[in-house]
Amino acid sequence: MHTAAIDPPGIEWQRVSPKYVTVRLVEWAVGNLLSVALLSLPLVFVLLGWWLWPPLWLAAAVPAAMLLLALWRLVLIPRQVRAIGYAERDDDLLIRRGIFFQRTMVVPYGRMQYVDVAVGPVERALGLCTLKLHTASPGTNALLPGLPAAEGARLREQLTARGEARLAGL
Amino acid sequence: MDVNRERPAVDADWHRVHPASPFVRGWVALVAVVVFFGRDIFERALQGRELIDEGLNGRILWLLAGGAALLLVTVAGFVLSWYFTRYQLSEGYVRVNTGFLFKQQRQARLDRVQAIDIVQPLLARIFGLAELKFEVADAGESAVRLAYLPVGQAKQLRATILGRAAGVAPSPADGAEPAPVPEAPEHVVLSVPHGRLVGSLLLSEQSFFVVLGAIASVVFSVVTESGAVVLYLIPAILGLGAAYWKSFNKGFNFTAAISPDGIRLRYGLLDTQAQTVPPGRIQALRITQPPLWRILGWYRIQVNVAGYGGAPGNENAARTTLLPVGGMGEVMQTLALVLPDPGTADPYRVFTAALNGLDSDAGFTTTPRRARLIAPLGWRRNAFLATGTALLLRSGRWWRQLVLVPHQRTQSMALSQGPVARRFGVADLVLHTTAGPVVPRLIQADVGEAVALFDQQAARAREARKRQTSEQWLTELSKAGSLPVPAPLQPAQPPAPPQPPANATPTTKEEPRNG
Repeated sequence: MHTAAIDPPGIEWQRVSPKYVTVRLVEWAVGNLLSVALLSLPLVFVLLGWWLWPPLWLAAAVPAAMLLLALWRLVLIPRQVRAIGYAERDDDLLIRRGIFFQRTMVVPYGRMQYVDVAVGPVERALGLCTLKLHTASPGTNALLPGLPAAEGARLREQLTARGEARLAGL
Repeated sequence: MDVNRERPAVDADWHRVHPASPFVRGWVALVAVVVFFGRDIFERALQGRELIDEGLNGRILWLLAGGAALLLVTVAGFVLSWYFTRYQLSEGYVRVNTGFLFKQQRQARLDRVQAIDIVQPLLARIFGLAELKFEVADAGESAVRLAYLPVGQAKQLRATILGRAAGVAPSPADGAEPAPVPEAPEHVVLSVPHGRLVGSLLLSEQSFFVVLGAIASVVFSVVTESGAVVLYLIPAILGLGAAYWKSFNKGFNFTAAISPDGIRLRYGLLDTQAQTVPPGRIQALRITQPPLWRILGWYRIQVNVAGYGGAPGNENAARTTLLPVGGMGEVMQTLALVLPDPGTADPYRVFTAALNGLDSDAGFTTTPRRARLIAPLGWRRNAFLATGTALLLRSGRWWRQLVLVPHQRTQSMALSQGPVARRFGVADLVLHTTAGPVVPRLIQADVGEAVALFDQQAARAREARKRQTSEQWLTELSKAGSLPVPAPLQPAQPPAPPQPPANATPTTKEEPRNG
C-alpha cells in the first residue's frame, strides 16, 4: 500500500476493493463523456454550416481540451482507488485518500454519532458499498467507498459497537 | 432531542405561556387586517365626512363584515394556539405540546442542554414578556422555544432547567410542589462601554471598505464630471446605516458574567438578549483583530456552541460573539472563563505570544523557514502550541487570529497536503468542530511536526474525554474537585438527592474556575 509523508508512521493500511475502479469508471463515463459531447455540439453545428460563430479552431479546441482533461482523470482513477485506505486503531479509525491532494483523517470511535451504509446501482451489481461516518461536526467528511458488502457490514457493526463502548458527549 | 408521539408518563404540572403572547408575536397580522379594512373609515372620520358613503352602502357593509370576520378568525386562531401550547418540566425532560389541528409533542433531555437564551424583542419588552430558547446539539432550530413568558417566570424556569441539568436540584418527588430553585448568583466580569462599541464599529473591516468605496466614488464623479453618482449611493448609504444600526443595537450594553450555571451574556438596546452557556459547552473559540483595531489594542472573541449552529445572519453572529470588542485584559478574563485551567504554567505569556507574538516565543512552533515563499507574510506568525488542556492555532500577520480548541472537544481531524505544499515539505491540519463561525485550521506546518501533532492530538483528545464522564457539570465538579469521594459512583446515576440545592448558593460561586 502506498504510504506518503503525511501518514502517521507504522500504520497498516487496508485497501478498498479493486472493483471500485469499475464504479469510478462508470461515474467518469457518465460525467465526462456527456460534457464532452455537449461541448462538441458547437463544433458539429459549425461543421454543418448552421453557425457562423464561433470560429472553427475555438469550436474544436474547447471539446479537445475537455477530452484531454477527461482522459487525464481516467488515467488517474486506478491510482486514486489504490490510494484510498483505512486502518482501525484501538480508539479511532484512520482514513486516507488522494495522490496529488492527499488527506489523512482520524475519527475517534467515541465521537461517531451514526454510520451510514449506502449502495448505488453500479455498486450493488459489483457487491460493493459506501460507508459514511458522521460526527457532530459538519466538517467530518469521512467517506469510505468501494468496500465489499460483507466488509462494510462488519465495519458498521464494529464501529457502532466500539462507538458505544467509548461514547462521549459533545 | 427526542420527538415523542406517545402520551408522556407524567401528566401533572403542565403550564401555559402568557395569554398575550400570540398577540405579541402576531401583531403584524392584526395591524394589517385593521389597517386594510379600517383605513377608509378612518380617513373619512378625519375628513369629517359621513362614515359610510351612501353610494357604496351595501358593499361597504359586506366589506366591513368580511374584515370583522377575518379579525375574529385570526384572534380565535391566536387564542386556540395559546390554549393548546403547553409545557412541562419533569423527570429530567422538558416537554412542549403545540398545535390543535396538527399536534406536536416534543421532549428534550435537560442534561443535553447546550445553551439557554432569554430573548426580549422590543414589543415583548414593553409588556414585560420574554422568550425562552432551549438549545440542544442539533445545530438547527432551537429545540424548545417558549414565547412568551413573564420575565420573572422565564428567569425562574431557566434557573430550574440549569439547576436540574447541572445535577444540583433534585426532580420533585411525586406530586410534591418543587421548591423553586434559586437563581444562581452571578459575578459580572466585564462590560463594554458605549464609546468603545462605537469606536469598534467605526474602525471595523466594514468601515475600511466604506472609506474605500467613498474615495472610489468621489474619484469617479470627478473624472466623469457628473454628480449622478451621488444618486446611486443613496441606497448604499441606507443599507450601510442599517448594518451599523444593527451592530450597534446588538452590541449595546454588552455584559459578561460568570455564575455556577455558566457564562452569562447580556446585550441589546431595543431588543435585549440574555444567553447562558453552561461550562464546557464551548467547542472552539476564535480571537481576531482587524488591522485598524491594532491601533487601540482591541480584540473580538467568537465561539462555536453546538446548539447555536452555523446559520449565517446577524442574529446568529451576535449569539456566537463572546466579546464584541475588548482590550487585552478583557480577553484574558474571557479566556479564564472559557478555559479555567489553561494547562500551562505561565498563561499570560503564552496567550500574549498567541495574540501578538511572532516566531517561536513562548514555545510556539511556526511554519518552517523554507516555506516562506508560499507564506511570505505569515510564516513567522502561523504557529501552533498544545497546552495541557487546549490546542492554540495562531495565524494572520495583519488580520491576526488565534483559534483555541479544548482537547476534549475535538471531533475528528484531517491532515491534508497539496502538490505545492509537498514541494515545500509542509502540511495543513484541520480540526473538525461543531458548526459555527470558528474553523480551526493549522496552516503550513512542517510535515514531521504536523504528523506528530496529529498523533499526539488524537491521544490527548482521548485522554481528555476519558476524564470527562458526566454531562452534569456540578456533580462532576464536586466529584473531581475538593470533595474526595472514596468510591466513585457510576456516572449514569441520577443526581444524588441528599446533595442540597444550597450548592447553587454563593458559597460555591467559585467552583467552575477550579474545574
